[in-house]
Amino acid sequence: MTRRVKGIVGGVILVILALYPWLFGIYFTNVIVTCAIFALFAVSYNLLLGYTGLFSFGHAMFFGAGGYATALALTHIEGCPLLVALLFGFLGAVALALLLSPIVARLAHSAFAMLHLAFSMLLYTLALKLRGITGGEDGIGGFPIPPFRIPGVVSVDMTDPLNFYYFAMAVLCGSLWVAWFLTKTPFGQIIVSVRDNDKRVDYMGFKVPQTKAIIYTLSCGFAGIAGSIYAMFQNLISAAALGIAQSFAPIVMTMVGGVISFFGPIWGAVIFAVIEELTTRYTERVQLVEGLILIIVILFFPGGFIHIVAIVKGKLLGFTRGKGAGLIKGKWFGK
Amino acid sequence: MNILETKGLYHDFNRLEVLFDVNLKVKEGERHAIIGPNGAGKTTLFNVITGTYAPSRGAVFFKGEVVTGAKPHRMVRLGMGRSFQITSTFNRLTAFQNIRMGVLSRRGIRFNFFRKVDKMEDITRETDEILKRINLYGERNMPASALSYGKHRSLEISMALATDPDVVMLDEPTAGMSKDETRYAVELIRKLTEGKTAVIIEHDMDVVFSLADHITVLHLGTILASGPPDKIRKNKAVKDAYLGEMEG
Ligand SMILES: Nc1ncnc2c1ncn2[C@@H]1O[C@H](COP(=O)(O)OP(=O)(O)OP(=O)(O)O)[C@@H](O)[C@H]1O
Ligand SMILES: [Mg+2]
Repeated sequence: MTRRVKGIVGGVILVILALYPWLFGIYFTNVIVTCAIFALFAVSYNLLLGYTGLFSFGHAMFFGAGGYATALALTHIEGCPLLVALLFGFLGAVALALLLSPIVARLAHSAFAMLHLAFSMLLYTLALKLRGITGGEDGIGGFPIPPFRIPGVVSVDMTDPLNFYYFAMAVLCGSLWVAWFLTKTPFGQIIVSVRDNDKRVDYMGFKVPQTKAIIYTLSCGFAGIAGSIYAMFQNLISAAALGIAQSFAPIVMTMVGGVISFFGPIWGAVIFAVIEELTTRYTERVQLVEGLILIIVILFFPGGFIHIVAIVKGKLLGFTRGKGAGLIKGKWFGK
Repeated sequence: MNILETKGLYHDFNRLEVLFDVNLKVKEGERHAIIGPNGAGKTTLFNVITGTYAPSRGAVFFKGEVVTGAKPHRMVRLGMGRSFQITSTFNRLTAFQNIRMGVLSRRGIRFNFFRKVDKMEDITRETDEILKRINLYGERNMPASALSYGKHRSLEISMALATDPDVVMLDEPTAGMSKDETRYAVELIRKLTEGKTAVIIEHDMDVVFSLADHITVLHLGTILASGPPDKIRKNKAVKDAYLGEMEG
C-alpha cells in the first residue's frame, strides 16, 4: 500500500470509531472498548515476541499491575484525577518491569518464558492472599471514576458511557500509535536485530541487556495502560486479570493475527472479539471455537491472519516478494 | 606503533588449554594475516581479543589502553570491527538494514525514540554508499538469508566495516567461497581495508601472500613465527608444521 492509501484507510477507521456509538448504539461500544484494550495488550506483547524474539508466559502480570495500581489509586486517593489514575496504572506496570528486568534481561528462550510463568503465578497468589490490599477473590471494585478535567476549561463526566468510550479509545489508540512509532525508530531497528541475532548486535556496538530491559519496560508499560483502562471500564479489577488465562490471551491473539506485523495482534484481537460475539449467541463454549481456530492457524497459516492476507494479495497481484514470500519460507519464532 | 597487542595471553576451556602465552603485535596500518592449522586457536584468539570472553591470563592492549575482558560493544566503540568465520548476520533484515546497523552504531544513534530511522536521510545515504561499494546495492531490499552465499559473505565482512573501525578483525573471510568468489572477496577486502589496520585469519595461502604485509603463525595455541611474508615462507619450523603440509 502506498502512503496515501494507508492514510485514507487509517482516516476511515478513525471516522467509523468516532461515529460508532451513533450508528450502532452505546451498548455495542462495550465490544469495541474491550477489543481495543486487548489490541493494545496484544501489541504490547508482540513488542517482545515478534520484535525482540522474547517469548513470555506471564505478560498479564503487567496488565494486572496496571489495573490494580489504577484501582488502588482511585480507591485510596481522595479526588484522584482521571489522568493521574491512568498514570498510576502505567507506572505500576513499569515499576514491576524495572524490578524484574535485572533478572530477565539477561535471559532468553525458555528460561525467559518459564520465569514469567513462575512470577505471574506468584503474583496471582499474592493478589488472592493479600486481602487487605487487593480485596482477595472479590478484587477491588466500585471505586469512583473521576471526570476528565482540565481546571477552568472542561470537566467531562466519565460515568457516562459515551464519554468514557471516547476517552478510552483516545488513550488506547494513542498508545497504539506510540508503540507503532517506536518500532519505526532506530531503537526499533535494534530490537529486531536482537531478535535475529543478539550476539551480533553486541558486535555492532550496542548493549544487548540494556536494549532488552528498555523494550521490556516499555512493553510492560503499554500492558499497564491496557490494564488501567480495563479496570476503569469494568470498575473492577480482580486476580483473574493477572492469571495464566489472561497471559495466554495476547499470545493467542498475536499468533492468530500474525507475529510478523505490527498490525497482526490488532487483527487477532478483532478476530477474537468477533468470534466471541458470534459464538456466544449459540453456545457457551467460546474456547472450543477459539481453540479450533488456533489449531488451524498453527498448522496451516503459521504467519497468522496477516499471512493469509499476504497470500491473497500475492495471488491477486501476482507477486511473491515481500512479507508473503518470507512468510512462506517459515520460521518466525525464536531462533 | 602497535595498535593492537596481546601480552602473555592464555585461554582454556575447562582446563583444555587452547591459547598458550600468545604475544601478538599488530602495527598500525598493516594487513596482518594469522595462519595455522585447524584447531590452532585462531578463532579463540579473536574471541579473547574482541571480548567474546575474557582470557584466563594475560592482557590485551588496544590503542595503548588495557582492554582485557572488555565486552564486544565496548571494543566496537573503541574502534574495532569483527566478522565471523560462520556467517552471522541479521537474517530477516534486509541487506540495507544490516549495514545500517553499523552506520547507526558509528554515529552513536542507539536509544533514539523520537525520529523515524527511515527518515534519517544522511544515514540512508551513507548506507547506500556502502552497499554500492560492496556491490550489494542490487540486493538492497533482500533479506540477508535470501542472499547468495558469496553475497552473504560480502555482507558479513562489510558489517564489520560499516562501523568504520580502525582495526578490523576478519575470521576466514573467504571461508567456503569458490575460486571466483574468493578472488572477488580479496579485492573487496583490499579496497575496504585501505588505510586501516586489518587482522585476517586465512587458510588460503594465495590469499594470505597476496594480501598480507605481516604474517603470524599460530600452532597448538602459541605463536610459532611472526614476520614479513617472505621470511615466513622460508621459515623452517613453519614449513614443517604448516606450509609443508598445505603445499605437499
Ligand atoms: N567454546 C569452546 N568450548 C570448548 N572448546 C572449544 C571452544 N571453542 C573452541 N574450542 C576448542 O579450542 C580449540 C581451538 O579452536 P579454534 O576455533 O580457536 O581453532 P581455529 O584455529 O579457529 O580452527 P579453524 O581453522 O578450524 O577455525 C579447538 O580444539 C576447539 O575444539
Ligand atoms: Mg576458526
